[in-house]
Amino acid sequence: MSLEGKLALVTGSGRGIGRAIALKLASQGTDIIVNFFRHRDTAEQTANEIQALGVKAELIRANVGDPAKIDEMFDTINNKFGCLDILINNAASGVGRPIMDIDVKAWEWTMDINARALLLCAQRAAKLMNGRDGKIVSISSLGSPFVLPNYAAVGVSKAALEALTRYLAIELAPQGICVNAVAASAVETEALKFYFKEGLVKDNRQATPAGRGVIPEDVANVVAFLCSEEAFMIRGQIIVIDGGTSIGMFSLAGKE
Amino acid sequence: MNTEEQVREIVARITHTDKSIITRESTFKEIKADSLDIVQALVAVEETFGIEIPDEEAQKFQNFGDFVSYVENQIAQKEKV
Repeated sequence: MSLEGKLALVTGSGRGIGRAIALKLASQGTDIIVNFFRHRDTAEQTANEIQALGVKAELIRANVGDPAKIDEMFDTINNKFGCLDILINNAASGVGRPIMDIDVKAWEWTMDINARALLLCAQRAAKLMNGRDGKIVSISSLGSPFVLPNYAAVGVSKAALEALTRYLAIELAPQGICVNAVAASAVETEALKFYFKEGLVKDNRQATPAGRGVIPEDVANVVAFLCSEEAFMIRGQIIVIDGGTSIGMFSLAGKE
Repeated sequence: MNTEEQVREIVARITHTDKSIITRESTFKEIKADSLDIVQALVAVEETFGIEIPDEEAQKFQNFGDFVSYVENQIAQKEKV
């Protein structure tokens, strides 16, 4: 499985899951465009680590919740590279509130970054992938098929992202573009530590059938596979990465 | 309009607050700005002035005055370069 000589845009790759994906693809020979928004220092660190792996890294700051910024980002990619092989739609944000406290601003912020960004990035990416067997992989969440506390806005945005993944998979198939998504349970990142602290998620490491929590590299491994030619016949699917948590009923009841 | 007034206008617009009640001593809590309001205000200010305000710096702001001072400093530094 080699992705040598490819060019990938990984949105939100300064930290967490995006960073792990960027490094995994880089380790397979892919040049990486590191998109970030609020944390330039960590993005620069990611870019340095990518370059240390012997491939190119390009930093682009853009809020993917803003259509004009998405356009600017793709204009830069077009001018600088003129092509793209892989789009990893990872950047995410959201407002953790109960349904009754979700206002229009919180809803739109979450939907714009988590769902609309895939539409707009995929539209621009598809043009740059012309004739290049492109791959588009998005990061979803188990908050789409399941109900998690204070997660309605994000969960619904991820459900939209998953439906869009299926439509893109079919509509972009004639151009040779493979479109899929992965949905992980709580992944051990800085963002998760915040959710623990806020009491929004429980530490369920003990209840995971696989015996440990999901780490960013688990997600990155599956994403890299979906970007390879070995995954050519997987289209429009949402691959669950949760160590068995979502299907293991005993884990919901708690282990003795 | 000076920098402070422009930042005040942005914060007032995003938080739906009367700008006349936002003083340099006002805290974000007093303005009833939630975390999303703060992020949106940061983004709007960044775009207006062509600067970057890292979250780590924003977390240090105790009140509106701290926010304005940081923005003024960033603009001054940008003009030096």
